[in-house]
Amino acid sequence: MSSVSAAPGARTSRWSVATAARSGLAAWVIVALLVLGLTVKDPSGFWAPANIANVLTGTVVLGLAALGQHLVVLTGGIDLSVGSMATLSALLTAILINGYPIRTLPVVLAMVVLGLLVGLGHGLLVSRAGLAPFVVTLATFYLLQGVAFMISTTPTGQVTSALTSIGLRRSGPIPWSLPILVVAAALVAGVLRSTAFGRHVYAVGGDRAAARSNGVPVSRTLVLAYGAGAALAALAGVVLAARATVGSPTAGQGLELSAITVVVVGGTSLLGGRGSLVGTLGGVTLLALVESSFTLLQLPATLTDLIRGLVILAAAAIFVTRTRR
Amino acid sequence: MSPTSAPLLLEARRLVKTFPGVRALDEVDLTCRRGRVHALVGENGAGKSTLVRILTGNMAPDSGEILLEGRPVRFHDPRDALAMGVTAVYQELTVLPDMSVLDNVLLGQERTRRGLLRRDDERRVARQVLARVGLEDVDPGARAETLSLANQQLVEIARALARQTRLLILDEPSAVLSGDKLESLFEVVRTVARQGVAVVYISHRLEEIGALADDITVLRDGRDVSSGDAAGYDTTRIIREMVGRDVDTVFPALPQPGREVVLKVRGLVPAGGHGGVPPIDLDVRAGEIVSVAGLVGSGRSRLLRTLAGAHPRDAGTVEVAGRRVRASVRDAVAAGIALVPEERKTDGLVLPLPVRANTTLASLRSVTTGGWLSARREREAFNLEQRRLQIRAAGSDQGTWQLSGGNQQKIVLAKWLRTQPSVLLLDEPTRGIDVGTKAEIYRIVRELAAAGMAVVVVSSDLPEVTGLAHRVIVCRLGRVVGELSGADITEEKVMNLALGLGEVAS
Repeated sequence: MSSVSAAPGARTSRWSVATAARSGLAAWVIVALLVLGLTVKDPSGFWAPANIANVLTGTVVLGLAALGQHLVVLTGGIDLSVGSMATLSALLTAILINGYPIRTLPVVLAMVVLGLLVGLGHGLLVSRAGLAPFVVTLATFYLLQGVAFMISTTPTGQVTSALTSIGLRRSGPIPWSLPILVVAAALVAGVLRSTAFGRHVYAVGGDRAAARSNGVPVSRTLVLAYGAGAALAALAGVVLAARATVGSPTAGQGLELSAITVVVVGGTSLLGGRGSLVGTLGGVTLLALVESSFTLLQLPATLTDLIRGLVILAAAAIFVTRTRR
Repeated sequence: MSPTSAPLLLEARRLVKTFPGVRALDEVDLTCRRGRVHALVGENGAGKSTLVRILTGNMAPDSGEILLEGRPVRFHDPRDALAMGVTAVYQELTVLPDMSVLDNVLLGQERTRRGLLRRDDERRVARQVLARVGLEDVDPGARAETLSLANQQLVEIARALARQTRLLILDEPSAVLSGDKLESLFEVVRTVARQGVAVVYISHRLEEIGALADDITVLRDGRDVSSGDAAGYDTTRIIREMVGRDVDTVFPALPQPGREVVLKVRGLVPAGGHGGVPPIDLDVRAGEIVSVAGLVGSGRSRLLRTLAGAHPRDAGTVEVAGRRVRASVRDAVAAGIALVPEERKTDGLVLPLPVRANTTLASLRSVTTGGWLSARREREAFNLEQRRLQIRAAGSDQGTWQLSGGNQQKIVLAKWLRTQPSVLLLDEPTRGIDVGTKAEIYRIVRELAAAGMAVVVVSSDLPEVTGLAHRVIVCRLGRVVGELSGADITEEKVMNLALGLGEVAS
């Protein structure tokens, strides 16, 4: 119904759809519809604590990567290296911990710092050297994956039981890893809302020249945004390792595209300066829901990519503000 | 306060800035004193905006120095200038449409405590400065996009007021303001000056300058022609100094136009104009050159783009040699209308392509065989045009981006001449082009007219407007306010009409 009324000419409804997309509610509307559909189809299966926990677990890794992507996209950039960053971090986590509980915390912190450094590099290349974000992060996408393959071509290493239980255990429908995402999301939301840096992120993405003219520290803003983005991707890698219990040189493959997908589906403009975290989180939930319902409905997993493509296209057609000159 | 007793704040000395083909600033001096409003006047392209960009750290000068309270300063970034109390309100709005009014006002000067924004503090500051510019009714939480253009301009000024400012630069702040809004702007400027701030005020409206200015500097062709106490200037003097030139471009003799009306425009209303603009009628005969004058934003370019089908029309008809032309670029080209656009680097040329490809871009059929492009025929086509227009290029395969502005413009001309147009529309044909090539382009335009083409020229260059054409049409605020022909065409008369001063004796 809402998609029909958004046809050209329906001025007021187009406006309200645009508003819905801007506030990020649109993705949640689809989530609600999907939940409704799944409840009708298989109420006991869907609402079983194990299934809910499964859906929520699916949101954690994707959500962490998407939070970082959200920041970068708001500045008008893009980070294609998210998946490779997560892979490298997952691999290194398992190898460096190698079963020694005492190493858990230092290694996890080291991974976040590693991500931060990679991101700072992105930010400097984009802001100081003036390179296109797409190119810079495409290069590190290959570089980081290459480094991972140099370290090992097969799954290796061993995480500790502390990490494993965070990765795999649940209390009823709540997976133990969910608080990581909740805390990270709250932090990102708070920074965007209540710090000068947060404002600058929107300003730099909205109009870089205007931001510069008004004394916004453009370079510092870009460097911090890319830094935080890659650090969050590295954290996603740690969670990946915790869930797999070993480190795999392909752990995070494809994560960059999933992260971009949910940011776009959440209504954030790829041109920068406009977007809502609520929408991105809605996109995360939506994608996790779609993927888990394949198992629930016993559909062939090979259809995932097909459905994903349709979801993006539909979201772009209905919710994403069209860019015309 | 008398000019000498007011303390000196900023001194710019012998500033030079050169762009490829143009000397935008040529040893310009500017002196700003505390508590005084210094008006900077000059035609479009006289160098005012370049001067502003340098004073605000958006651009570095090639040479020259800036002294702030006697000490030399170098601004590498707008942040440096802002930190020293040099604040500007730019001609192009820098309001971010997706951010709230509050966030816009405090952009780059967020109030924080321990890293967190102090919203109450910010709201208080925003309300206070918004009230000072007459926007007390605006909700600081509203998205800036929802405000009218005039109110966005005032938000921009409020933003400057929220800063600790010692020098306030206003670059055409009044362009979109009128009535009450204009009054509150004046009041703000006067108050700020009374508080000891030095103000640089740039405007095309000479009556505002009379009302506000304490000092005046006139810029022309990148030089400061004169500078002094505003009491020593009247409108006539300002206009004379703005347009007067020491270098006269030689305009060849005008051939008599023919009788036949080639371009016939009736009741044309370009879409999206100012409300209540009367429809435009225009006849251009074969061999006639008509120029359209007016300030930037007076609707000149839109008129040309409408004629060329590149801008939609609300009403009216366009006929070329008796054939109705629909509002589409394809139909306009088919009817024989060619537009040489203002932005030659983005709208006129595909810079990365070789010159031959740009030359044949609008007439590809003439260099294809069975749908396949022939490089040989393309080279022949370019060589022909190169001889005809005296294009200075190393060869037909040279990259278009490597040519000078003047030769690039000749390529654009060549591209359209190959379509054998009967109506040639030129939008700022010599902007950014050196004097020598300018004269060549004038000669080419004359020859084309002599060969029977109907030519319409839009230009901000007054000698060009007056020297090149049989007739001059003057636009102001989207409407035609006057027409001059023959001996009536003088720079003073054109300027007076464009500024809306009517017929001031010159």
